Amino acid sequence: MRNSNEIIDDIANKEYEFGFTTDIEMDIAPAGLNEEIIRFISAKKEEPEWLLEWRLKGYQAFKKMQLPSWQHFPMPAIDFQAVSYYAAPKKKKQLASLDEVDPELLATFEKLGIPLNEQKALSGVAVDAVFDSVSVATTFKGKLKEMGVIFCSFGEAVREHPDLVKKYLGSVVPHSDNIFAALNAAVFSDGSFVYIPKGVRCPMELSTYFRINAQNTGQFERTLIIADDNSYVSYLEGCTAPMRDENQLHAAVVELVALDHAEIKYSTVQNWYPGDKDGKGGIYNFVTKRGICKGNSSKISWTQVETGSAITWKYPSVILQGDDAQGEFYSVAVVRNKQIADTGTKIYHLGRNTRSRIISKGISAGQGDNTYRGLVQVGPRAHNARNFTQCDSLLIGNRCGAHTFPYIESRNKSATVEHEATTSKIGEDQIFYLNQRGIDTEKAVALIVNGYAKEVLNQLPMEFAVEAQKLLSITLEGSVG
Amino acid sequence: MTHDITIPFYQYILEGGNGLTPKEDVLYATRQDALARFRSLGLPDLKTEAWRYTNIQRTLKEQPFILQQQPLPVTASQVAPAAIADLPCYRAVLVNGHLQPELSDLPEIKDITISKLSEASQQAGFKAHFDKHPHLADQPFAALNTALFADGLYIELKKNAILDKPLHIVHVYTLSQHAFLQPRHLFIVHPHASGAIIESSVGLHDGVVAFVNSVSEVILEENAELWHYNLQNTVQDSRHVTHTAILQQAYSRYHHHNFALPQANLIRNNLSVALKGSYTETDLHGLTLVTEQQHVDNHTFVDHLVPHCNSNELYKGVLLDNANSVFTGRIHVHQDAQKTNAFQQNNNLLLSEKANINSQPQLEIYADDVKCSHGFTVGQFSEESLFYLRSRGIGQEAAKTLLVNAFAFDITDQVHIPALQHYLTEEILRYVTRN
Amino acid sequence: MLTIKNLHAEVDGKAILKGIDLEIRKGEVHAIMGPNGSGKSSLASVLAGRENYTVTQGEVNFDGKELLELSPEDRAREGVFLAFQYPVEIPGVSNLNFLKTALNEIRAYKGLPALEAKEFLKLTKEKQQLVDFNANLMNRSLNEGFSGGEKKRNEIFQLAMLDPKLGILDETDSGLDIDALRIVANGVNKLRGPEKSFLLITHYQRLLDYIIPDFVHVLYNGRIVKTGTKELALELEEKGYDWLREAEVHV
Repeated sequence: MRNSNEIIDDIANKEYEFGFTTDIEMDIAPAGLNEEIIRFISAKKEEPEWLLEWRLKGYQAFKKMQLPSWQHFPMPAIDFQAVSYYAAPKKKKQLASLDEVDPELLATFEKLGIPLNEQKALSGVAVDAVFDSVSVATTFKGKLKEMGVIFCSFGEAVREHPDLVKKYLGSVVPHSDNIFAALNAAVFSDGSFVYIPKGVRCPMELSTYFRINAQNTGQFERTLIIADDNSYVSYLEGCTAPMRDENQLHAAVVELVALDHAEIKYSTVQNWYPGDKDGKGGIYNFVTKRGICKGNSSKISWTQVETGSAITWKYPSVILQGDDAQGEFYSVAVVRNKQIADTGTKIYHLGRNTRSRIISKGISAGQGDNTYRGLVQVGPRAHNARNFTQCDSLLIGNRCGAHTFPYIESRNKSATVEHEATTSKIGEDQIFYLNQRGIDTEKAVALIVNGYAKEVLNQLPMEFAVEAQKLLSITLEGSVG
Repeated sequence: MTHDITIPFYQYILEGGNGLTPKEDVLYATRQDALARFRSLGLPDLKTEAWRYTNIQRTLKEQPFILQQQPLPVTASQVAPAAIADLPCYRAVLVNGHLQPELSDLPEIKDITISKLSEASQQAGFKAHFDKHPHLADQPFAALNTALFADGLYIELKKNAILDKPLHIVHVYTLSQHAFLQPRHLFIVHPHASGAIIESSVGLHDGVVAFVNSVSEVILEENAELWHYNLQNTVQDSRHVTHTAILQQAYSRYHHHNFALPQANLIRNNLSVALKGSYTETDLHGLTLVTEQQHVDNHTFVDHLVPHCNSNELYKGVLLDNANSVFTGRIHVHQDAQKTNAFQQNNNLLLSEKANINSQPQLEIYADDVKCSHGFTVGQFSEESLFYLRSRGIGQEAAKTLLVNAFAFDITDQVHIPALQHYLTEEILRYVTRN
Repeated sequence: MLTIKNLHAEVDGKAILKGIDLEIRKGEVHAIMGPNGSGKSSLASVLAGRENYTVTQGEVNFDGKELLELSPEDRAREGVFLAFQYPVEIPGVSNLNFLKTALNEIRAYKGLPALEAKEFLKLTKEKQQLVDFNANLMNRSLNEGFSGGEKKRNEIFQLAMLDPKLGILDETDSGLDIDALRIVANGVNKLRGPEKSFLLITHYQRLLDYIIPDFVHVLYNGRIVKTGTKELALELEEKGYDWLREAEVHV
């Protein structure tokens, strides 16, 4: 049997590459990417030599890489040399009270039902004494520490747990994986690190803490989560609240490693600035997310609710290396105005009896363009592998697009792969029926959309599911009628 | 996209292509344009999205090909094996793409023209439709064919004409050395006309390789109907890249049945339909039964440009030995194409440890009031069914054969000519039992 | 309660209703019968506010309000309930969630607070029993995978829950076997009362064996050509509709 490095290299070479170029007007200097800048970043962060070398390898790979041409949307252009790769994390302007916050933002918070203190934290209002985020974080940290769970910033992990970082960094998403992963490897700012020791079931969603501290995550984040034998963790990224960010390009990397009988559940709610009605501005969200079920009977599950960004281009993937391993991908992607989403997953069945399940629900409104792109690959050793994929598209209005591009590759006769896709619109007769029962059109659409997306929303942690549901309704406000 | 072509064959084509067309040829300009198009498109490689599962350059690198081979003498008895038992039909025999009237039995019906394409260049139908199909524009092999083709078949069913028996087109390949052949056909069915054509092949080239790059353009005018059967069997040592480009006007009905059966080493079918008029019906059915080292790649494209069209696609694959099957089915529903019904299904039986299947069923939808779906499955026999048959005293092998036939039945059942249906069922049985 | 005066309506430029006059008072049950294509279901659709119908003439007064000026949801909130001939399926939206939303929207319109979960469940249980509705269907998606009979019974259950002033039953009896018909009819009978009116649209007389109407109207070619009592329905059953051609001439 081949070792996992070979497998990953193999996959990396076949990986979809991300690419784009456009003129971004950056107001930060000095712009440009070169070895000096990378050495400078590494020095600023007081990183060890091995990490600097790794960054430089990423940079070398990046230099050799080309922009791809397979994507299903007009390619914006970006001048990498025009981007500033080092800027001290921009502190948001501290506001004295919520009165100073954009009322539109507050209205959205209100609709989402976000607690007042969190509203303040999210919009950059100084948090009052009643709600001491530091102490909350400390409480959590204490509890986690007791159980041996490591949950800290990437920078801290490099200092405190160099062996773990060294062992797993780039082990799932190599520095040369694709052009954006290479860029991230070269210049990544910071991010999160999680290690769950053997036999530990992480007692809380790693989210509450994270949500409050989610500001200033930067455009080149890097997350690494390792679940050791028989452990479990549920990790939540992002926020239903609209995130405004001046950086147009976001190229994060997330790596997950699940060892024997371990389970990682990774949920994302993404609601970054999508640009204006004409598609001006907005974030390019080009993330590389991949997990490996290294151990037998391990499980990785991705759940995502994507409503923001001008362009969302990502394929959270699972490598099912261990026997009896399971991979799951649940996604709701909503586009409106001129938003573009090209998203899906890649599942590699390598071990025996590996199972995967893909549920993708695309919703297109306005002039939005929504693409599901997914790969299911069954290797020759993956006896009795099973995959089920369901891709549904819902169209609202007749100027949007919904596309489904699955790639299915099977090399094992005992494998069963099934893919189903449907496209439908919200029927006038459905809306009329609900109208006739006293429900107005706006609410009717919300009901139908949430019903449509239910299978995915159910995967989210309870509290988040409620917010995500509201988020969907708000996102689609005014799309019908 | 242009790739660096390092293989000598590419240069050879470009140079050879230039020399092949005399300036006085009526199509000189068209051919020069096509050659320029081919040059800018380049030869596809594995990085070309539409060719990611079929390494065509490897095939072309194998040996030097000549670009034209005049037909060698062929006798009626050599063509006989292509006959389909008990099938009353007309016959058109083409050797290396050149129609052989003395071997053929062509209909003598008013308003039906069947001739060499090279003799049709002054026909109105030729002028209106030759090399005009929108889907051919970005296809390098189609461009190559336009630049280099020697001859092919021209069929025209005039208004209200009915072809009373199917026309069996027998493609015979006879070569003295490895050859790269470019047959070119144009079928035009005028308003309210209808007919059925069956295409099959005979290979008489021993020890040399035929690389056949064929292009057929099929035009269905208003309310026209065509049954089009394509049997890809019986040719050893051959590689086929085919383009069948169909254009349908309002109320027309097109039924395509493709049977990719054993022998040919490589088959790449590009079947694409442009729906230009409303209320059309399009059926695309395909059975891929592949054995040994065979590689069959079916690329289909249904382009819904206008409202109220129906398309239905079902491709099934049975894979044995080391065979490779690729299916890419693309449905594109344009913004104006409201009330479209488009369905696509690709089911596969993988019966060997070493066989491969790659499938890309694609939906691209820009209209909201449509019904579209696609589905894909791969698996093996249901153990339950196999057990059931065996418990009734049917041996394992016989039971498997039965189940393969049952699997293929959805496709053979759609064949509307009984003798042809019978012939195909027997062919399938023959290949399955041999394994 | 409902007064229809000289109502004309068309679909795609084609006249469907050609001058309907109808008066339904509180507590009355009216039945409208007529052959296929006479405009029965169109009348129901126009009253509920289906968009593809254009009213070209006439007026409809409902409890003092100009019904035709209201949006479909406001008509429902005012108390017009249409039991659909073909209830739609909405995958993923549970029956329960749907009803709660509808009920609270109607309450909000009337200035009432939303029902507490407990009260809502109590009401649900009560009405389920009243109209003999299978509780197992409550948590399923709205009408999805329901049998024809289950869908119709769901309509009656919703009628019971939303408690409208006027219930319009659009061919609720068609496609039902006799047992299901009896259950549906019993449900309606239990809901009858001095404050509630019904408009039954049906093709067959048999429904009227179970729900006894106060008046029977015959709709023919977009007009009401005859009005009578229960006996008229029997006469129609016996003679068919052909003799009405003559009647139409006389109107």
